[in-house]
Amino acid sequence: MTEMDIQLTVNGKPAQVRAEPTQTLLSVLRDKLGLTGTKDGCSSGDCGACVVLLDERPVNACMVLAPQAEGAEVVTIEGLAKEGELHPLQRAFGETWAFQCGFCTPGMLVSCYALLRSNNNPSREEILIAIAGNFCRCTGYQAVVKAVEQAAAELRTANGGSEIRHD
Amino acid sequence: MNRTEYTAPATLEDASHIKKQRGAEARVIAGGTDLILRMRENVLSPALLIDLRRIAMDSITLTTDEMRLGAFVTQSQILASADIARLFPALCEACRGFAGPPIRNRGTVGGNIVNASPAADLAPPLMAYDASIVLTSVAGDRVLPLVEFFTGPGQTLMEPDEILSEIRLPLMPEGTAATFIKLGQRRSMAIALVNLTTRLTLDGTGAVSDARIVLGAVAPTPIRALAAEGMLTGKLLSDELFERAASMARKAISPISDVRASMAYREQMTEVLVRRALLATRDELERNQSGD
Amino acid sequence: MTEAMVVGQWTSMPEVHDIVTGKARYCPDIQLPGMLTGKLLYSPHARARIMRLDVKKARKLPGVFAVLTHGDIRGENSYLYAHPDQPLLAIDEVRFQGDAVAAVAAQDEQTADAALQAIEVEYELMPGIFDPLEAMQPGADQVVQGEDNVIMAKTYRTGDVEAALSCADVIIENTYRTQWAEHAFLETEGGVGLVDDDGVITVYSTCQAPHRDRMQIARALAIPESSVRVITPYIGGAFGGKDEAHVQIHVGLLAHAAQRPVRLIRGRKESMLTHVKRHPIIVECTTAATKDGRLLAVKARAIADAGPYTNSTHEVLNKFGEFIGGPYKVENLEVEKIGVRTNNPITGAFRGFGAPQAAFVYESQMDDLARKLGMDPLEIRLRNGVETGTKMYTGVVVREGTAMKATLRKAAEMIGWEKRDQGERRPDRHLRRGWGMATILKGSGLGRGLSDHAGVVLEMHRDGSVVLQSGAADMGQGIVTVMAQLAAERLGVGLSSVRVIRADTARSPDAGASCASRQTIMSGNAVLKAADSIRDTLLSLAAGKTKISKDRLDLKGGRLHVDGEPHEISVRDLAQGAGNRGYPLHAESLYHFEYPTDVPEVSYRYSQEVFQFCTQVAQVLVDCETGQVTVERLVAVHDAGKMINPGGVYGQIEGGCAQGIGYALTEELILKEGHTQNASLENYVIPMALDLPELEIEVLEIPEPIAAPLGAKGIAESPIIPTAPAIRNAILDAIDKPLYELPMTAERVLS
Repeated sequence: MTEMDIQLTVNGKPAQVRAEPTQTLLSVLRDKLGLTGTKDGCSSGDCGACVVLLDERPVNACMVLAPQAEGAEVVTIEGLAKEGELHPLQRAFGETWAFQCGFCTPGMLVSCYALLRSNNNPSREEILIAIAGNFCRCTGYQAVVKAVEQAAAELRTANGGSEIRHD
Repeated sequence: MNRTEYTAPATLEDASHIKKQRGAEARVIAGGTDLILRMRENVLSPALLIDLRRIAMDSITLTTDEMRLGAFVTQSQILASADIARLFPALCEACRGFAGPPIRNRGTVGGNIVNASPAADLAPPLMAYDASIVLTSVAGDRVLPLVEFFTGPGQTLMEPDEILSEIRLPLMPEGTAATFIKLGQRRSMAIALVNLTTRLTLDGTGAVSDARIVLGAVAPTPIRALAAEGMLTGKLLSDELFERAASMARKAISPISDVRASMAYREQMTEVLVRRALLATRDELERNQSGD
Repeated sequence: MTEAMVVGQWTSMPEVHDIVTGKARYCPDIQLPGMLTGKLLYSPHARARIMRLDVKKARKLPGVFAVLTHGDIRGENSYLYAHPDQPLLAIDEVRFQGDAVAAVAAQDEQTADAALQAIEVEYELMPGIFDPLEAMQPGADQVVQGEDNVIMAKTYRTGDVEAALSCADVIIENTYRTQWAEHAFLETEGGVGLVDDDGVITVYSTCQAPHRDRMQIARALAIPESSVRVITPYIGGAFGGKDEAHVQIHVGLLAHAAQRPVRLIRGRKESMLTHVKRHPIIVECTTAATKDGRLLAVKARAIADAGPYTNSTHEVLNKFGEFIGGPYKVENLEVEKIGVRTNNPITGAFRGFGAPQAAFVYESQMDDLARKLGMDPLEIRLRNGVETGTKMYTGVVVREGTAMKATLRKAAEMIGWEKRDQGERRPDRHLRRGWGMATILKGSGLGRGLSDHAGVVLEMHRDGSVVLQSGAADMGQGIVTVMAQLAAERLGVGLSSVRVIRADTARSPDAGASCASRQTIMSGNAVLKAADSIRDTLLSLAAGKTKISKDRLDLKGGRLHVDGEPHEISVRDLAQGAGNRGYPLHAESLYHFEYPTDVPEVSYRYSQEVFQFCTQVAQVLVDCETGQVTVERLVAVHDAGKMINPGGVYGQIEGGCAQGIGYALTEELILKEGHTQNASLENYVIPMALDLPELEIEVLEIPEPIAAPLGAKGIAESPIIPTAPAIRNAILDAIDKPLYELPMTAERVLS
């Protein structure tokens, strides 16, 4: 066995797991840490169901090996709500019906969350680019765009109306 | 995939030593977006993965005559670089249409080169900008023009004990413009049916002093359409010239039929897109001129 | 009845919190103590004889708890959608790339893989049969020994087609080809099975028909259905692809053999190789009309590739034929429906169920006809469209047909049909713009002659909270929300007071499969029936308390209302009162769809009676040098009868249009000698966010008079049906090129 000790931070909390080097971050999250919110849709980086934030950037967790996340900060769907309070995006997704079966939703939400963290006034085009790696078969993408716009407006108001834009 | 070991050395030197020791059975992993997939499909089974994440290899440095990209620079970093957007726009354009954001955040320029897919999106712009690559080993650095690097699908001139560490792009002379075009079955998450870059540099009289037409996904490796490039050199730009160049470029390729497209379609599209790219490059040159 | 407070409101679904926080559990998320990993071994060949199958080595591997082959199946070794010809585990022959040969359960994935590797199978390759036209010839090699390759050859006729053809002014004759399409639901097929403390085999199944699954699992294990339980956790999409059983029976077998919980989840490639696909159909169609564009006759011959097993081929072809004349008045019609076995992938249910293929044919014919006659495509459709009271070529009388022309007119208005020639048709040298439309109909329900019913259990507790138990599987299409809304509405409580327990055969009556756009009608009506029973008890109690007659009383917003005004008595007070008096606020109802009996003669078997009409109009931009087609605008006008859940209706339409665009332009499984060449989401090309236009959707609410809950009818399938022909007709308009094959890839557009 070539198991390794991996230390990382997940949703703000330190985590330590033992994993094979070829085990994916997705598997670590789901099978070792019990965070089953992030889904496996294809195991090949094609669908975005497994998108999580790795050091603030959205990535396909199925395409990151466990040791590649050593020392990293990971944010999953389970980390968006703070103390039981839903993030405006999560609420907006519900209100605009931006999902139906919900399987793509965790990855989709994280991609949108990442966008809003660096750009709280995204254009429709920018939103579509942000979710261009997230596949939804049930609902299409229009309602997602609406949800992001709605959440962005709410965040801008909370931010005193100022825009945040950075790479 | 399971008996694979993993190591993350602290320096490039350490990494080179490990690579020297283990040779071909050790593979450097960058973002992993190609490597992990091939391992999962059992196409590759490296005994050891060497991860260079602890080594700072993702810097973008601009000197007076060249730009240096660390091999681990990601497509997202390229897109975020104002310098690259200004100096090497075709490279920027190639990253824009590359897969989707989660892949761009992991995929590296070095990985795209070493993976050596005939359809690698970054190869045509890098080759059109006359990029050279730095191959590092315990023996030192070897610098090689990228155009010479690819030898076949997935095959390169890299020795088993070498690590691709840097990509160098000479700054283009005044009067240069380049265009990248990718033909895919959808606007994101698509493998190119044809991808290409045209680059023209004009002399003071408006004639072509240097031309590059680099084509991908239509031959065992990305290739330059040398005869077409030669034909363009010394000429003044015109629509007919571009049509001729496109038709010559078409003869330089040897595409295959696969699940994405037929050979005939790839041939036809090469000609169409080379012509369009040259026209767009000319438009860019005219815009740059009037902008001065 | 006063204005609805819950129904028709744009409300978040009850499950929203679980889904947006990641708490919602799907089959792959279920973890049970001691759970094993299950896997299936598939045939590497499209057709081969099994000469030797030896699992001894695999069984002996440490950490392997069960290895099953056909001999280990005590009960029936077959799937049973309609015909039991597909084995669960192959016996002596494999007939397509997805035939399962063995099943294993092991301590982890690695060990399960090792077990599969250790299974020794020797095959003798046989020449595969891949062309249905060849396979249907007399004397052709039999795909299934002893069974005709032609599974079905039925012709339906009405009127006198030959006479009509002979006196027609214009005849349009074309051959159409449609492709294998993949559902690509995000959550692949899977299941978790366990033997509980009472010895009951419980299977968590991502499925559309939990009660039918229960029957199939019991049948395979040769145990009574009362010893089997099927539960649906959250389901990550289905679109028909999980209607027939997939791995849940194997999961039950493995759990029983291992006497440990077993979770078996198909990988994406595995899923694309093995589960049912949409039937590819070759259709020769002849449409005859008068010179002023009146349809005289439609004659069609359809040959569907069934794969090696029957599955739902009869039913799909039946639906195909039922709608091949379109939403038009056609008195003379003949449709020959042929289903043929091959060694290609198995084919089965997929949203639309034969109707998308039919619509591609009849709506393309209409435009070709309009062209030939120099008529406007809108005009010719209006001229022939059905209306309320029209007797269709199936014999069914259209009870409410206003929507046919209403959706047509509205869609045309939204796209600016009359002004389209003022639009820029040549924005550049190599670009051409065009507009095209398609108008369709699809029925809801299983069909006349079949018993279509659903049961539900509803209970209100003393505090006014409500529990609803239904066996209707929710795959994302939103039936859970619809049922909750109907119950909340009728009982006068808020949506958050209603808890729906997801389909569980041990707790919910059979609601039938979630298919054929039927659940809103069947389960919706069952809920209304049950709710009305409880409502009646509450109102009777209220009448007694207030001394006001029941007809002046209502329940709304948690309160009793008298003459439309809120009263101080709350619904909770009434529930409490009922509880105190021992009045049960519990109802179990069974709803049976009643087919109208006043129709003189409905000649088409299993015809549907409740119609979804819709029209889509596309504006496309064609790049004449590359063949690429961009859908710039897509207008979709649907008649929903009544929107109980607007968010769900719009979601279904949007999602269906996106699937329709993929079906039209890029989606096809590429087969080579029975082997899929593009079994990945990378190479099976589905449009993503940057590829789709901003859809312009309008929903009409023309109440359905036949037994639809509050006038609502299902709209689940219609959105995917008109998209391909609308785009095809827009391409025709743009570049003068009629296309007869799907998908209309760039290469096909150019060729």
